[in-house]
Amino acid sequence: MRYQIDPRPKDTQSQGVEPGYAYTAQRWPSRALQRRPLTVSELSGPQAVLRRLATVRGDLAGSGEKRALGQLIHIRARIVDEDGAPVPGAVVEIWHCNAAGKYIHPNDTNDAPPDPNFYGAARVVAGDGGLVELRTIKPGAYPVRDGTSWWRPPHIHFSVWGRVWLSRLVTQMFFPGEPLNASDVILNAIRDPAARSRCIATLLPTTQGPANALVFDYQIVVRGRKASASMP
Amino acid sequence: MKRLVPTGEMTTGPFFPREFAAGANDLTVLDGQQVEGEKIEIRGRVVQGDGKPLDNLVLEIWQADPSGRYDTPDFLGWGRAATDASGIYVFRTVKPGSADGRSAHVNFLILSSGLMRQLQTVMFFEESGDPVFLSVEKSVRHRLVAKRQGANRYVFDIRLRGGEETPFFDD
Repeated sequence: MRYQIDPRPKDTQSQGVEPGYAYTAQRWPSRALQRRPLTVSELSGPQAVLRRLATVRGDLAGSGEKRALGQLIHIRARIVDEDGAPVPGAVVEIWHCNAAGKYIHPNDTNDAPPDPNFYGAARVVAGDGGLVELRTIKPGAYPVRDGTSWWRPPHIHFSVWGRVWLSRLVTQMFFPGEPLNASDVILNAIRDPAARSRCIATLLPTTQGPANALVFDYQIVVRGRKASASMP
Repeated sequence: MKRLVPTGEMTTGPFFPREFAAGANDLTVLDGQQVEGEKIEIRGRVVQGDGKPLDNLVLEIWQADPSGRYDTPDFLGWGRAATDASGIYVFRTVKPGSADGRSAHVNFLILSSGLMRQLQTVMFFEESGDPVFLSVEKSVRHRLVAKRQGANRYVFDIRLRGGEETPFFDD
């Protein structure tokens, strides 16, 4: 199947340098990024990433004495392309901090306790409907250690392989109703309000799903769509 | 058909799991088997605007096999490395072939804390008539050519911002 990649609406993506996130001014290029002619090199991609990266930990919450602390949640994320077509077999990496706001990463200097029963990193594969399901606990908020008063709202990191190299997506999922969402530099870098609200998961009615967990629905749209037979 | 808008990209943040960044930078072995081709090492240093090296920055590559084909059963063509505290990354791979009007090249994708979106660039082995190479302004395109060091090593340093800034693409 031939795939095509088109430029994205500008307001649906960060423009790179974000006031309030000091590192961006050192790391985003000063020269404008340029569009290049697209060839098979950019419009192909690894269809078997799992030959290099194995799946790990489909369940981060654990159970019994090994249950991680925090509110039990189920995430149901659907991976689709720009046609809305599911991307079955998409490899998805997910990582997030524990309920106290602490990551497993050794560079995390936040003064919050680790949870011995929580290891916040999973790699899973989308099923036939493009659906990825993860049982975990709700992450906490935490202060960004950059000398400002910025706190990150609860969020979950996603890294997704779409169908081709240019479909690769790394993003974050947010939770509805969190007061810190309104002041988060990263979420609000998406200037278009509709695009921004699509970065926030939907809580399913508690009459649905398991009795002991909150279920959050989410949709991730990776770049690319079926090439049209005749170009306009 | 109604078109959906791609989800907004966001930074990996500083805490991309070490486990994810490790063990995927050797493309010369697949499923325990050595792959065919001229084995090379690609390494470089990644720095930010003030010249400071970046730690735990993630680089992913995508390349053709030695005959210029992509995603063949015998060669995956995809790998990932992370920089150390000195900003150094290393890949082991085989030299890609040229095909379909493209010269030999390796696509790079960069993820980091402080990078709101992925950055894309391309490493070439020499100056050439490659259409992507030629699409870059003449005065800076030499920055996309790796420096050969010894028989099998290519050095491709990446500067995110500032003087000698690497050219990046947004498609």
